[in-house]
Amino acid sequence: MAGGAVVPSHDYGTAGRLTDRLESRLASALGGEDGGGGVSRRAVLGGIGVAGGATVAGLGGRANARGAGGDDGDDHDHESTHGNFGAVGEYADADFDPHAFLRQFNTGRDGQASVDQRVYEEDGRTVREFDLVAVDTTITIAPGVEFQAWAYNGQVPGPTLRAVEGDLIRVNFQNAGRHAHTIHPHLRNLNPRMDGVPTNGPGVLDQGESFTYEWLAQPAGVHLYHCHSLPLKEHIHRGLYGMLVVDPDPERVRENPRAYTAADAPVSNAYRDELVERAKTRNHEYDENDAVDELVMVMNGFDTNFDGDNEVYAVNTRAFAYGVGETDGKGDWAPGETKRPVQVDGQRPLRVYLVNAIEFDPINSFHTHSQFFDYYDHGTTLSPTLKTVDTVMQCQAQRGILELDYSTHDPGLYMFHAHQSEFAELGWMSFFEVV
Amino acid sequence: MADSTATETADSTVETPADRPLGLPRWAAAVLPLVLLGVLAAAFVATSPLAALDAGGAALPDVTVSHATLPGEETLVLHVTNNGPDAVTISQVLVDDAYWNFAVEGAGGDATLGPGQSAQVVVPYHWNPGWDLGTALVLSDGTTIHHTIVAPAASPGLTGGLLWTLALVGLFVGVIPVALGMLWFPFMRSMRRSSLNAVLAFSTGVLAFLAVDAGVEALELAEAMPGLYEGPILVVVGVAGSLLLVQSISAWRRGRAAAGDERAESGLWVAWLVAVGIGLHNLAEGLAIGSSFALGRVSLGAFLVLGFMIHNVTEGPAVVAPLADDERPPLRQFVGLGLVAGAPVILGGWLGSLAFTPTLGAFFLAVGVGAILQVVWELRGMIVTEAGVSARAILAFLVGLVVMYATDLLVAL
Repeated sequence: MAGGAVVPSHDYGTAGRLTDRLESRLASALGGEDGGGGVSRRAVLGGIGVAGGATVAGLGGRANARGAGGDDGDDHDHESTHGNFGAVGEYADADFDPHAFLRQFNTGRDGQASVDQRVYEEDGRTVREFDLVAVDTTITIAPGVEFQAWAYNGQVPGPTLRAVEGDLIRVNFQNAGRHAHTIHPHLRNLNPRMDGVPTNGPGVLDQGESFTYEWLAQPAGVHLYHCHSLPLKEHIHRGLYGMLVVDPDPERVRENPRAYTAADAPVSNAYRDELVERAKTRNHEYDENDAVDELVMVMNGFDTNFDGDNEVYAVNTRAFAYGVGETDGKGDWAPGETKRPVQVDGQRPLRVYLVNAIEFDPINSFHTHSQFFDYYDHGTTLSPTLKTVDTVMQCQAQRGILELDYSTHDPGLYMFHAHQSEFAELGWMSFFEVV
Repeated sequence: MADSTATETADSTVETPADRPLGLPRWAAAVLPLVLLGVLAAAFVATSPLAALDAGGAALPDVTVSHATLPGEETLVLHVTNNGPDAVTISQVLVDDAYWNFAVEGAGGDATLGPGQSAQVVVPYHWNPGWDLGTALVLSDGTTIHHTIVAPAASPGLTGGLLWTLALVGLFVGVIPVALGMLWFPFMRSMRRSSLNAVLAFSTGVLAFLAVDAGVEALELAEAMPGLYEGPILVVVGVAGSLLLVQSISAWRRGRAAAGDERAESGLWVAWLVAVGIGLHNLAEGLAIGSSFALGRVSLGAFLVLGFMIHNVTEGPAVVAPLADDERPPLRQFVGLGLVAGAPVILGGWLGSLAFTPTLGAFFLAVGVGAILQVVWELRGMIVTEAGVSARAILAFLVGLVVMYATDLLVAL
């Protein structure tokens, strides 16, 4: 369960070749004055995507070449295109890599280099200690579009923290931002001082102040931490949120299996053993967990023009980051440098830890193409709360675990996105590339 | 004598304050303030004494989408201008709340617009005729610039066929009505002085209506103009500028007349001024026709063309009325007057379909208003007699206004 940048191996040679092909097709399409007959609609479709991308990337010569053709009224017929939705251009800002973020878990033992963390025993309990600092920063949310964010450790979403049920999570929080912040965990905490709200404990922390939060890692599941300063909408949507993963402890499951089932019915010994095995695949300290490809997905959005509505939607902040680099809309696609599908090994079980951190919209959703999955609401059970579904809905702060199996799927692209079409077209549009 | 001459010469070189202001040669005194301004500016730049005021503030982005064109059923083009003092970058484009492919053309190869720069955002999009499109430009700081394309309709695009069509339209709505109207000339010559006065007053009413009509339209268009050009002020300056320009020509003509130039005295001068004023107005009318046509906003049916003909036929007598009292000028003068007054519709139509912008439209309208206002002033001089203005003339002026208003209802574009 090593953290750090696990970038899937990628055949950029193929991508480059396709791009070259599309570009040369475009060039030839523009070269011929009378052009019409020989130029396929498909070639031009691909080329326009390239031209658009090149414009933003500052290589606009080709876009202008296209313009020269476009000004001539007679050229429009064979240049016609339905166009394609999606962000134009690539991400130039390398401060945050949403592809690496997918598989970055901070456990105290290992994780991101940018998160100071340690793990140790104290009073017979495992303590996982993390240093988090709230800062004001600028993040990139769509190619060329920047957002003035407030962020834990400078990243949105904040670092994913992972512990095992029963551990103590100790967070040394420092506020380096200009506004007062807190950290509020969605955990079953027994000490009200640690709730991270203005009325409790230290309340809000002003610039330069610090506090050490101590939270009990319970119940097992996928949870959320976020700033609870007021106005709440702003403090959350500016970027102060992150994921907490609490792995179930197989021994506790063995002792009290019924607490880990959705059915809440008596549990047979055989079923108990099965639940214990499932707990091991969920627990990063067990080898069984290594077989599973686990992904962190935080659904979020950004209101860039202060109208109380999000202009950008995404999983993990960057619009279309798990989309394709370009496509002609006719079945051809190429990955981009920064916009590319999530590559998954079809032979490994796939688990998605999903949190909805959206603001302004009451609900968000996750929909898979050509795939049905088991869903564990809040991740607090080891038996699915929804079985065999392809769409799941989450209200604000709701979260869950998705278990997907692509072992019998042919390799290729499988779309997943919010099934609020508006969110999808505003950035929450992604692909798994099964290899 | 020699002495006194010497004294005079000496006097003329005595350094009076008027001759040598501040003890400097006259040319030096003239440029002195400019030189000092230059020195001050240089010192300002070099020492930046007001650095404390530079708090790192940045102006808000000010970007206008003046209009959209739809050259084909799968393309839309947004015409965008950066009005602000800082460069802006168009990072993404939304069409109906979806990020969409686009290319920025005319911004020097990238998507960044410098201050005052204009560009076209070309979006490949299969739009539906009549179904409104909400577009938004997303700038690099997340600012959105919205523009709604109401009831999209294809712009026919510039073709030889379109130019020919617009030439024909211009002929019918501009040249022919004016020529027909000018055929009242022989009848006008047979009129008594008082009746002719009424005809002149009627013409003045026609022109006054055109001035008001075009002025209102210019101000409407000014609202769609990029803020950079200060639309309403441009209109006012355009009106005043053309008025003063025509007035100065007129004043020069009067000077010539006073100096004994007979040609300068004739009503032909006034007729030419009227023709130029109406021509400018018709240029703007042509712009409106051409751009409406190019934007797919109008179907130039027979009724509309007929409406324009009825509307514009009153412009003919307005042109020739000032001549009725004089000796009949040669025929070529009439041809020239008719062309100057009527043919600009064709030119305007071409210009409007080729390169319409609200700025261009408002500017031409404003120039037309100024020219017409000057002509109204000029005609007033011909109508007002020693006995003042006759009741008949006043009523004729009113009739001119009303007739124009009534016929204007036929030609709403």
